[in-house]
Amino acid sequence: MITEIDLREVLARSVGAPLSDLVTRSTGAKVRSSIEAELSGRPAGAGVVLDFSSVRVLDCSCADEVVAKLVLGRGVAPGAGQWFVIRGLGEGQAEEIDHVLRRRRLAMVAEERDGHARLLGEVEPSAEAAWRVVGELGNAGAEEVATVLRLALAEARQALQAAADAGVVRQADDRFLPLTAA
Amino acid sequence: MTYVIDVPQVFDERSFDQFAAGFAGVEGDARVLVDAHAAEWASPAGLIGLLCAGQALLARAGVKPLLTAPAEREVAHYWARAGFFTHAADLFEIHGAVPRVRPNPERSVLLEVTPVTGADDVHAVVSRIQERSAAILTSELGLDPKATMGFGMALSEACQNIVEHAGTGGWVAVQTYSWRSLGRRVVVIAVADAGVGFRHTLEATQGKRFGDRWGDATALEAALIQGVSRFRDPGRGQGLAGIRRYLDRWHGKISIRSGTARIALVPSWEKDEPLRDGLPPFPGAQVQLVVPAVEREAP
Repeated sequence: MITEIDLREVLARSVGAPLSDLVTRSTGAKVRSSIEAELSGRPAGAGVVLDFSSVRVLDCSCADEVVAKLVLGRGVAPGAGQWFVIRGLGEGQAEEIDHVLRRRRLAMVAEERDGHARLLGEVEPSAEAAWRVVGELGNAGAEEVATVLRLALAEARQALQAAADAGVVRQADDRFLPLTAA
Repeated sequence: MTYVIDVPQVFDERSFDQFAAGFAGVEGDARVLVDAHAAEWASPAGLIGLLCAGQALLARAGVKPLLTAPAEREVAHYWARAGFFTHAADLFEIHGAVPRVRPNPERSVLLEVTPVTGADDVHAVVSRIQERSAAILTSELGLDPKATMGFGMALSEACQNIVEHAGTGGWVAVQTYSWRSLGRRVVVIAVADAGVGFRHTLEATQGKRFGDRWGDATALEAALIQGVSRFRDPGRGQGLAGIRRYLDRWHGKISIRSGTARIALVPSWEKDEPLRDGLPPFPGAQVQLVVPAVEREAP
């Protein structure tokens, strides 16, 4: 089950005006609260696509308040346990989000316009490598990751778990799946 | 007795200290005349610096200081078109002819002098720049369309500095004009307030760390170079970092003056001192961002 959230719509709803620019920290806090309210009560393990296609300007403060804090609250906020994918980012917007996530040592998957997935933010190199393998294979377990990355099985398990903990892949029993907006 | 503060003939970032020295000489709640009659040109930083002085003097003395408008008709008209007198009337008792002009006829004024007191103002400013000036930024200045999006981000973060830290309102103005040392047009964002300034804002969380070295200059270094903020949340303090990244990419310049110090990140096309201390004190913070037009190849 995937919920799509159009950030421009949430912005308009949150501030009561038809705005296109996600700017200022206080606006970001309102937008995040609206999203959290929308996600509360949804089951853990469900997916959320944050769609930025209609957003014009995104500043760092708002990016931190909306995206980084949503990711940060993944384990504790309303809607905890859900996974997030971001879509429709312009190049500058992707950079802003990448920086705010790195500052908090967080990561997120962004789906680019051509459908390719891209990691924003910071994860351990082994977790990033595991994320890549999961994406390339469509799903993977520790054995496949160990083979592709030439790691010991225990190291591959650790890498996959780190990727899952960082919220860039999801786990289904002993398999790991890529996060996709589709 | 009336104390006179002379407005420099060319009032911009470089002559600002001359004006600040005059401002610093005001004693107590003396009646003050800000004399701009001989002014020939003022940059956006100069215009909103005047408003900050007016705001501080009014708050201090409880009566409006006097302001003589530029005697030169063209100069006064330009100031009017830039939106200066609209706000100056609230802060100064203005003497001399104040032209009445239609709003927004000037293409070089991308954003008239605009007050910033809350998040709504920041939204309005960013929206206006994106809707009205994005085309000018790309067609006339040759800025990459990606640069105009980042421009909105930088503008927003600069304005939020007032909302989040100043403790009072401030102003923003955006203009485009030719930058002499560069020989090209530039876009200039000037944001200023007469609030508490960087040192006061950061003192509670950073003062101890710097010990005896703590002052206006170290506060500016901490904010601009190290990206520290008054909040303990690691996600804070990203605004200036975002502005820096944007200016780095487009070879722009940032300078911030606060209290008795001024810091600048100076691109290769400009000569300026990176850090100056011991300047005449001036309230609040004055931020200037300069983004140069793309160099066009000769035909």
